[in-house]
Amino acid sequence: MRWPLGNRTKDAESKPKSWRRFVVLFFAAFVEVLAAAYVFILLVDPYDIIPFSLPLDRRIVSISFSFMYPQVVRSRRFDSYIIGTSTSRLIDPEILNGPFRARFANLAMNSMLAWEQKTMADYFQRHVGPPKVLIVGIDLVWCAPDADTHRHNPVGWPDWIYDDNPWNDYLYLLNSATFEIAVRLVGFQLGLYRERIRFDGYEEFTPPEETYDVTRARQLIWDHRPRATPPDLPPPPLSETERRALSFPALRWLDEILTQMPAATRKVLVYMPVHVATQPWPGTREAAVEADCKARIADIARKTGSKVIDWRISSPLTREDANYWDRLHYRLPIAQKIARELPPAVLEDRESADGSYRLTVR
Amino acid sequence: MLFQSQAYVLVFLPIAVACYYAAAGSERLRHGVLIAASLFFYGWWDARFIPLLIGQITASWLFALWHERARTNVPLVFGVAVNLAALGTFKYLDFVLASAEAATGLALPRAHLVLPIGISFFSFQLISYLVDRMRGQAPIYPFRPFALFVLVFPHLIAGPIVRHNELVPQFALDPRRAGLAERIGIGLVIFTVGFAKKVLLADRLAEIVDPLFRQANGGSLSFGDAWTAVLGFSFQLFLDFSAYTEMAIGTALLFGLVLPENFRRPYLSTDLREFWRRWHISLSNFLRDYLYIPLGGSRAGPLRYIAATMVTMGLCGLWHGAGWTFVAWGLWHGIGLVTCRFWQRLGRPLPAIAGWTVTMLFVLVGWVLFRASGFATAGSILSSLVGVSGFSGKIQHVALLIAAALTSVLVPSAHEMKDRLLKPIPALAVGAAILAAICVLEVGKGAPLTFIYFQF
Repeated sequence: MRWPLGNRTKDAESKPKSWRRFVVLFFAAFVEVLAAAYVFILLVDPYDIIPFSLPLDRRIVSISFSFMYPQVVRSRRFDSYIIGTSTSRLIDPEILNGPFRARFANLAMNSMLAWEQKTMADYFQRHVGPPKVLIVGIDLVWCAPDADTHRHNPVGWPDWIYDDNPWNDYLYLLNSATFEIAVRLVGFQLGLYRERIRFDGYEEFTPPEETYDVTRARQLIWDHRPRATPPDLPPPPLSETERRALSFPALRWLDEILTQMPAATRKVLVYMPVHVATQPWPGTREAAVEADCKARIADIARKTGSKVIDWRISSPLTREDANYWDRLHYRLPIAQKIARELPPAVLEDRESADGSYRLTVR
Repeated sequence: MLFQSQAYVLVFLPIAVACYYAAAGSERLRHGVLIAASLFFYGWWDARFIPLLIGQITASWLFALWHERARTNVPLVFGVAVNLAALGTFKYLDFVLASAEAATGLALPRAHLVLPIGISFFSFQLISYLVDRMRGQAPIYPFRPFALFVLVFPHLIAGPIVRHNELVPQFALDPRRAGLAERIGIGLVIFTVGFAKKVLLADRLAEIVDPLFRQANGGSLSFGDAWTAVLGFSFQLFLDFSAYTEMAIGTALLFGLVLPENFRRPYLSTDLREFWRRWHISLSNFLRDYLYIPLGGSRAGPLRYIAATMVTMGLCGLWHGAGWTFVAWGLWHGIGLVTCRFWQRLGRPLPAIAGWTVTMLFVLVGWVLFRASGFATAGSILSSLVGVSGFSGKIQHVALLIAAALTSVLVPSAHEMKDRLLKPIPALAVGAAILAAICVLEVGKGAPLTFIYFQF
């Protein structure tokens, strides 16, 4: 090892000014680039959380929904909302607005875990107040036994936006992702970039209908298993010990969400129609566990004056491969059918004409 | 605290450097600053292990002091045993129990101890000092600089493994001595090179490599996926670890300290012995001086040479991880080194390109053992690499792999940059600063990935 900077020490002594200028230039450029980026982010403020940001027309220009939706809530343009996973994202608020006489935002996100849905519901409650209509798209995230220990997806969840502490926000904004979204928002102002999804959160995220291929869909649905029709079997009974051993920690949060809503809020729990291939096979223990979870959800609904509508059943809709892109995601016409059937089911307790859904709790 | 985090780059490091230079006039004070900063840095990971760290340092120093007074090697043997016991307990206890269980069929309990970060590195440094004492090659240092030799945060977690006589004398030097601006300028550039390698390349490779190795746990990879995984990991490991080293060397220079070289573009090696002179140099030197040569080295006949090489490399593997795949990786390299030496003695050197190809293929096979979670997975990946399950699929993320390859072979080592290449060119200052700023923005996106060598 040379000592302490090898044979360059003599050279360094002859050029100390050059190295001093080098260091000053480095620091000046480093600080200037970061400061410029930070000021740009603060002024453009793509998440609409900075009090002194520029008065821009802020739209959803990114699919980082957990970052973008809080401003949708805070805009107070919506008095009702949908939460859930990707299985709820195709429900078009514009179809629901008229029948419910409400202004819906669809705040569902891909793989949105139960704790994240609870966080969003609390956020709406604090910033807007009780919604006129609340629709919770129920998926198995609510019945997950590890919901308490796995509260967030690995992609991360910006707790700092949802915590209502405006000061810690400044610690999390200096990054390339926010910078990129800010650039897009400026691009939108200049007409160079389109809003990524509608401000009410609705997006037709499935591929164009004209590209639909039922053969491909069947591969994704059945994954080399033989196609089968589920038998009409009741779930096997669970012993009292087995039942007591079941744990659905997220249901406590569902209870809290619904309990905090006043009677004037119309509360609707909707099981979204996933394909029968991904529902627990009738007669199995998984079917019994799901039935138990559904029963507990029904109890919560009855206690809180909520309605439960169940599309997650074996029905002509969920048995038909051609209704789906894959096991979880139905096609756009199905989404529109659900959105049209939902208001009369809620408002008039109307039964399904074709057996697609059941009114579990009226 | 990770080097490549905003907390480190924008808060901790500037404050530590500022306090250090504010205290530079007093040796005692600036050492105090460096010790406090190092404990804070280490405690950021897990403050529970600070007593262990300080305990090992203090015990080693006391054993050396006892040796000075008692004039017998017994205290030093105790000192080495204490450090090996700490390392063995925290790192190898469960491995030994699991191996004993597998061999005997008896159900044995597990300790499930959390591995204190950096224990492999700081234990080795303390052992090297105690062994040097035995050899009459190490003086008794005052406690403060001795503690700093182990604690000083740039190399504390993952090296380079520093010898006491390389570092302790530097603590007496005034950091404001001649060449201050040069040291800081060069330190900033070397840090930035490591920062960019980690954030822009190694972490992106991890996103490709990790899922493929996970997939290989449960089934076989296609030919294309296997090559993507193995090439990706080979570059990821080098870029990740050399990045850490560069950030350590760059940080140390900001404090007026020079850490030894750890990598010299190992993927340019044309034979395996050269590879080990270029890869993790501080560990290679440690193993050579404290294991291989005491075991006989190459001067006590071919059989002794083979035994010394195999034992050294087997333990080198075990040092990397408490698992038999790591031992197998070490032995694989032991076999390679022995073969290489005997081939070279034949006096028929391979053409450089053939030597490079053979060496790199040998190293790639080794990395499969190093990265795979078990022998079955390693075997499955190696089978896929040679097309046993067909030649389907193609190598993915080619652009990233090419960028990683070019960076691996073209970017000079930290000491090459320090000693010969870096000049005070304004454009370099501005370019490096912009690159550093981009990296700061990039790491701000979310939880940064730790360095691979932190697990060792």
